[in-house]
Order: sequence, then C-alpha cells, then structure tokens
Amino acid sequence: MIKNISTICSFCNTGCGMFVRLNGEEAVGILPNTRHPVNEGRLCKRGWNRYQNLRSENRLSHPLVRKGSKLEEVGWDEALQISKEKISYILSRYGPQAIGVVGSPWLTNEDNYRVSLFCRQVLKSNNLDGSYRFSGAAALTALNETWSGALGSLASIQSLRESPAILVLGRESLRDFSPVGARMIQAYQQGSKLILADPVCLRAEHFYNTFLPFPEEQLAQILKEKKDVAEQIPRLLAQPGSAIVFIADQIKTASSLLSLLSFMSQDQADPHPIPMMIPLSRSPNFRGAWDMGIRPNNGGLTLLEMLDLSNVIKGLLVFGDDLLTHLPSFSLMEKLKKLDFLLVADRFLTDTVQIAHGAFPIPLLAESTGTLTNCEGRVQKLRPVLNTGGESRPLSYLLSSLTRKLGSSLPAHSDKEMRKEISLVIPQYQNIHSESELDSPQGIVLSTLKHPVIPSIPFETREGPQAPGKYHLFIPNTLYAWSRNQMILESPLLRIEYPEDRMALRMNRQDVRELRIRPGEKIKVCSDHGEAQLAVEIDESLPSRTLVLPMHFSTVIENLAGKRKFDHIANYSYCPDLEVTLKKV
Amino acid sequence: MEKYSLRKADLNRWIDSMIDRCQVFVPSRIEEEIFFSPVDEAPEMDLLGGTAVLPYLPPKDIVFPQSEILFSYSGKGEETKVEVPEGPKRGLVILGIRSCDTQGIFWLDQFFQENFNDFYYSRRRNKVTLVTIACNQPAKNCFCICCQGGPFLGSESQNFDIQLISFQDGYLVECNSTQGKELIDMRPDIFFPPEAGMEEIRFHLEEESQKKFLPAPTSYMSTAIRRITSNGIPPELWTELGERCFDDGGCSFVCPCCSCFGVGYLANDGKGYHYRYWDSCGYAGFTREVSGHNPREEKGERFKRRFFHKLSYQYLKKDGRIGCVGCGRCITACPGEVTMPLVVERIRKAQEAKYFK
Ligand code: SF4
Ligand code: SF4
Repeated sequence: MIKNISTICSFCNTGCGMFVRLNGEEAVGILPNTRHPVNEGRLCKRGWNRYQNLRSENRLSHPLVRKGSKLEEVGWDEALQISKEKISYILSRYGPQAIGVVGSPWLTNEDNYRVSLFCRQVLKSNNLDGSYRFSGAAALTALNETWSGALGSLASIQSLRESPAILVLGRESLRDFSPVGARMIQAYQQGSKLILADPVCLRAEHFYNTFLPFPEEQLAQILKEKKDVAEQIPRLLAQPGSAIVFIADQIKTASSLLSLLSFMSQDQADPHPIPMMIPLSRSPNFRGAWDMGIRPNNGGLTLLEMLDLSNVIKGLLVFGDDLLTHLPSFSLMEKLKKLDFLLVADRFLTDTVQIAHGAFPIPLLAESTGTLTNCEGRVQKLRPVLNTGGESRPLSYLLSSLTRKLGSSLPAHSDKEMRKEISLVIPQYQNIHSESELDSPQGIVLSTLKHPVIPSIPFETREGPQAPGKYHLFIPNTLYAWSRNQMILESPLLRIEYPEDRMALRMNRQDVRELRIRPGEKIKVCSDHGEAQLAVEIDESLPSRTLVLPMHFSTVIENLAGKRKFDHIANYSYCPDLEVTLKKV
Repeated sequence: MEKYSLRKADLNRWIDSMIDRCQVFVPSRIEEEIFFSPVDEAPEMDLLGGTAVLPYLPPKDIVFPQSEILFSYSGKGEETKVEVPEGPKRGLVILGIRSCDTQGIFWLDQFFQENFNDFYYSRRRNKVTLVTIACNQPAKNCFCICCQGGPFLGSESQNFDIQLISFQDGYLVECNSTQGKELIDMRPDIFFPPEAGMEEIRFHLEEESQKKFLPAPTSYMSTAIRRITSNGIPPELWTELGERCFDDGGCSFVCPCCSCFGVGYLANDGKGYHYRYWDSCGYAGFTREVSGHNPREEKGERFKRRFFHKLSYQYLKKDGRIGCVGCGRCITACPGEVTMPLVVERIRKAQEAKYFK
C-alpha cells in the first residue's frame, strides 16, 4: 500500500514541493506537488528520480574509527570517546585555533546553527566555513555586501514569468533547474526579453532575444565595444520585476557580480532599482548555511586557509559534506589527508569518510526535520519521510554528546526551539518561528530589511587582445559537478544521466579540422606555467579559438595554471581562464 | 453486454462489499492533491461523478509501479539466497478510472502481454478489474475525443470491465466482462434492470459531452500523423521544440501509455537487489551506448523519436491506436510546455509558417 508524503526536494536550492511515495519503509516513487508555488506540478529529472538514492545500499550505517590503516565499525560511545580525546588533545596542546569546523549546504538551518554554536562556544574556534568557499562563496559575498549583511528574500520564481527582462548568466541556469527555466520560457512567450550571457556558448537557443558571448571580464569587453547593447541592457533590467538568474556555484569572483550590478545601475535614479536575483546552487541549503553563520568571523580562517596554511590546523571536523570532492587542487586534497584528526559526519560511505579518523552516520535530509532556505529566500520545512539509516543519529545528538564530553554545555534545543532562537538572532529570519506557516506549502519568505547598496566597481577587462596563435581556455564549473554528488551516484538512473565527464579538451569543429587531428586524439596544451596532454572532443556550441576544460579536472588544471588568483572580497582563490597554445603530439 | 442501474447512494455499499474481497483503489485527496489510493472509508463522491477530475498520475502505477524490486539476493557461493517479492494476493479493483486511463491500461497490456508475457506486470494486471466512469463534462486539458480515448467508451471498444455512466442520482452500469459480472453479482440487492429511456439518455449525454470539446487543437491529429509518418517535418521544427524540453521525463511518467523502464541494481557487501524503474525516452542516458556514443545526443532527436512512437502510422497499424489517449496530463507536467496539443498544433500550423513554404 502506497503512502504519499508531502515534503520538499533536497537536491538543489530551487526547493520544489513533492510527494515521496512509500511502500512500507521503501521509497518507491516521487510525485510533484501541483500546489507548491515554486514548481506548480513540475520537477526536473533529479526530482522525479529522487526516490532512488533514498534506497541506497551504500549508507554509512555505523560509527567508524580508524585503527591503523583500517576503519573499524564501533559503537557510538566508543567513537565519541575517541573523538573527544583527539579534540581535547589538540585543544590543550595547540589551542582552539588549531581546530577547524566545516558546516554544510547539505544540512538544515537548525543543524548549521548548531554547528556554528558548537564551533564558537564549545571549541572557541573562529575557523568555521563551508565547502562553498570553493564554488559559490564569491556570489554569496557579493550579495551579502549589497544587502549589508542581511540577505533577505531576493526574488520569486513564480513571478519570473511576468518579468519584462531576464538576464541569464550561463545557460545551465535555465536548462538544469526546470521550474526556474519553465518560468523563463513562459516569460519569453509573453514578450519578455531574455538575454543570455554564456562563456562558452556559440548558438543560443531560440528563446533568447540577445546573446552575449561572455560574462565577467569578457562581458565587459563586449559591452565596451558594443555601445548600443551596453545602453540597452541596463535599461531593460531597470524595469520593475526584471531578474538576473545565475548559478552561484559558477561565479568565480565577487567583483564580477558586483561590477555587473553596478554596471546595471549606472545612471539610474537613486535608490537603484535592482533586478530580482536568483542565485541557484547545486546544493539545497546554500543560502541557509551561509545565513546561519557558516563562515569565518573575528579573524577566523577560511576553509582554503585552514587547508593551505601549513601546520596551523591540526584537526578538522566536517559535518554533512563530502569535502574531498569539492577541493579544487591536488595539493589541498593531500593536505586534507595529512591532518592529525579528521572527523566526518555524513550519510554515505563517501571518499571523505574513507580518509577520516572518525566517522558518524547522520540521517539523510529526507529523514530529518528542520528547514532549508531556497534560492528565493523561502524557508521550507522538511518532513522526515523515512527512517532507514541503521545506526545513524541526528547531528544534534552528536554535537551535544561531544559538548558534554568536552565538559562544556549548550542547551539541547529541539528544531522548533532552535528556530525560535534563530528568529531572535538573525534579523531577516525574524518570522520563521510561526510553525503553522512553516507547515503550509508556501513556507515562509524571509524579510527584506535593508535596501541594496551597490558598491561602484568597474568591470575588469581582459588584458589586451588575444595574441595570435593563442587559444582561450575556459575552466568552468560545469554540470558535471553533479557526477560527484553522492545523491546522484546512489541513483542508478541519474548515474547514467549525469555521466562522469571524460577528461577531454572541448573545442570547436573548425579548430579541430585546422589542427588536422581527430576527435579522441591527444594534443599538447601549453600555458605560461606548464603543459598537459589531453584528448580532444568536439563541442558544436563553442566559438572558434575557445577551449573548455571543466574545473573538476583539478590536477591537470593545477599543472597548467600554476598559481591561483585571489579574490580579496570573497577571500577565496580561483583558477583564472588561461591563454594557451596547442601543439600536435 | 449487460446493463443495470445503480443508485448513487448504493455505491458505498457496493464498495464496502468489494473491500471484503479485494483491494479497491479510488481517486482520493491527500493534502488537496488527488491520488488513486486504496479506500478504507467512504470515497469522495465529487471525484466519482460525471465531471472529469483527473489525478495527477494515471493508475498505471498500480499495474506498472514507478519502481519495483525484481529480485533480491544475499549470501555468497552455495549460500546465495535469491528472493522474488510476492505479487498481490487479493484482487484489485480500480474504481473511478476515466475512459482515457482505461484505454491507457489496455495499451500497456499490448506492450507487456502480447508478444512476451511480462511476469511482474501480469501478476498484477490479471488481478485487476476496471470500473470506469464515463465523462459527461471533460476537464480543461482533456482532448480524448481526438485520440479515441473517451469521453465515453463505446460498446465496440470492449476495453473495459464495467462502465458507469453518471445520471443525476444514479449510474447506468454497463458490464463487459466476467470479472465485471463477478463484482456485480456480489450485490444483487442494489443492481436493477435499467429503467426505460435510460438508453436514450445515455447517448444524449455522450453527444452533449462530445460537443464540449471543440474546437481542440488536437483535432489536427490526423495531419500530425500524416506528416510524422511521411517524414514531412523539417528537422528545425524538432530542434526548436526540443530546445524547450527540459528532459525531466515528467511527460513519460504521467502518460497512461508510456511503458519504458530501466533496470538497475543497488548492492553492497554481498547483498542487494535488482529493480526496475520508469525511464523516459527524453533522457539522454536512455539511448547512450556504453562507449559513450549517443545515437540521439540532441534533444530534438529524442523529442522526434518520442512523437514518432506516439503518432506514426507504423505504430498505429501495429497497435491499433495512437500512443496518446488525450488525458492532457503532459500539459500539467511539462515545464517547457511542449505538450501533445502544442506539438500537434505546431506541426499543422507549420504549413503556413516558414517550414512548409
Ligand atoms: S529543480 Fe532542484 S529542487 Fe526542483 S526537483 Fe529539480 S533538483 Fe529538486
Ligand atoms: S480525457 Fe476524456 S476520458 Fe479522460 S478525463 Fe478527460 S474527458 Fe474524461
């Protein structure tokens, strides 16, 4: 007998409403919720097949402790005791600043808030961050700056369909998040102007009115050269209800987003009308984790610094994230492996769990209560649809047990009590304690308390014209990031839909012909810093002299790029696009 | 075919008797969403009247679930144990299914039972009795009339066990099979011979209902069938329509006729299971080969294939009907709104537009 339980999807931060269909304790299907304002009866392919990972056989089912080179299953008490001893040792020997804590966009608001209290009040460390430091923190920082630290609701997905103009940064933001894309296509059909700015796309789909080949530095270049476009776009986007839609994970620098906003608001009346902002993310609680304080304060270290500054951090506690898969370079991975103590709390037997010293099983989001904040700034409550997690226990249990063992105390709050506290402490979350509103499919939309103030940041333009014989190598955070997501890997259908990207250099067909090579053949790529041999693959959508290598091939990219660039606003380093030459092997 | 009359007030008593012997599925509301669910209390009568109210999902998942375990195993070597989960023990009645969905199930029968008898499908299907309700008033997305799907099932179609036709306070009951007869025979006290004149009212109701459809864009269905069959559609149109497809698979999942499935396994440490799940020809992975090559890499290509299977003469001839019953569910589910009516209309209108100059 099938039971249909209404909840929200926890794959990405669109936050669609859905029913999980259960046959006993088994998730056997999904149905979209037609009354949910975000998706109104539609889902993307991840959502439709989300039941599959709920039946994974690869769950982390027992606490694990490293004994010698092996991880051994132990009871909770033993694992807690060993962890406590390691943490105490590091605290007494090196002090609290030798410990780092990682919260997660795959944890609820309540759990992230708990992690932040645990880090700051129990461990007394300021080294708190999330894996979004490597993809997304730039966008979050820029938005946070603009709204002076109180990032409220920024948009409504539903009203996108009435937008007079929408700027889409990267076509995957329309493609890969169908409830958002659906509204954009509806808007187009009703006469809205859709503008696509995509770094690597030659042929825009038919519903784009304007097509700008390059965002960020290249966008600046184009806008400089094409005065008419440069005048028209800010005017279009100044109309009330206009929107900017982007995948926050793909934004490389805070200044690129800030300069775009400042360009849009040039010559506009004060206060600037600002378009709706939809920062999409491949993680479900990207905004919420940030809002709950999962970022360093008072001189604390960022995740990059925790791993990069040699020997400062001795122990790292990672809650709810497969950190290893997010690290952008081989050297950082090595550093993670060399920590004195790595504690992981997660749901699956992930790569990060495999290298941990201690691991604790926690429930899936589908097994949790608590709330997530979606890309619009809508806080929605999860319903625990099943309970299949073996020995897993809520994160609150893990944190309060460690707290007690460390001789400290924190009030053991339920999720409801936690929301009460959050509503008192985080201004834009002031309304979220209303339980009856949280139980409705609309959830609660965050308050917008501050008027946006856009710092005036000029566009960074590309240095000089492209040298003859050189190719521009883009290193984007592509769709293939999904193929590293454990929730995808645990779904037989989605594993096929999001295949592991083959390490290949993608290029235009014409360029391949000119170089007299065949697809699949290897070519030598040389940058100022190093070289690499890569197989070539044709990508019809690429303009000539443009190459693409997805950013998750970090070792090769590290070889070619050498030093990463530093974004001082977002406190984060990234790999800039490169000028390279190609040689036949 | 045998005919009876049944008072609406007696429907509950009939269902009560069925529940003693079978599992009875009727459309019911859960948080305002409608599902076919097993009844345990009085059904919602507004969902069982002459006005079409379609659940989001057709009842196809009762015979062909979204996912189902084929077998599970544990142990190693000699010790290996393989288990096939049990099928339903009791009879299943789907009551309140509409004409279109009924036709959908008969279409699935052809796929799962005609050339090869699918064990998992059949052990459910053979236990099912369908009690259809004809639609006096179609819903806003309905176009069954263009697809031989409804709104009434004619006696010539044979494709139902029992058809209920809603009158003011009663139903005309048409019984078409022995399974249907068994259900009626359970309660001789509530089934009466039809009153005089009922037959005329029935045909009047059917005619009235049919009038409520026009003009529907899908009445161009025949043009679409002809163009698709003769390959008369320029690739640009498929590309354009394909661009609006999000390959989320929703259209296949909600379609009463779609029967494609994939088989996957989940295993760990010597135990696990194989299961099959709804798949969609819209997915890139559906046709991708192990080498990585995909004969239908472009979305437009997959889109074209989907509509070729649904509308081309080749399949019409083979299956006796087109692969769409006109329930209009794709209109609710498709984020890109590239639905059957839209595609048919675009194909037909393309004549005047750029593609057929
Ligand atoms: S768009 Fe995001 S939230 Fe919606 S169904 Fe897809 S993965 Fe889930
Ligand atoms: S499509 Fe026809 S048979 Fe189906 S619900 Fe609508 S009117 Fe009834």
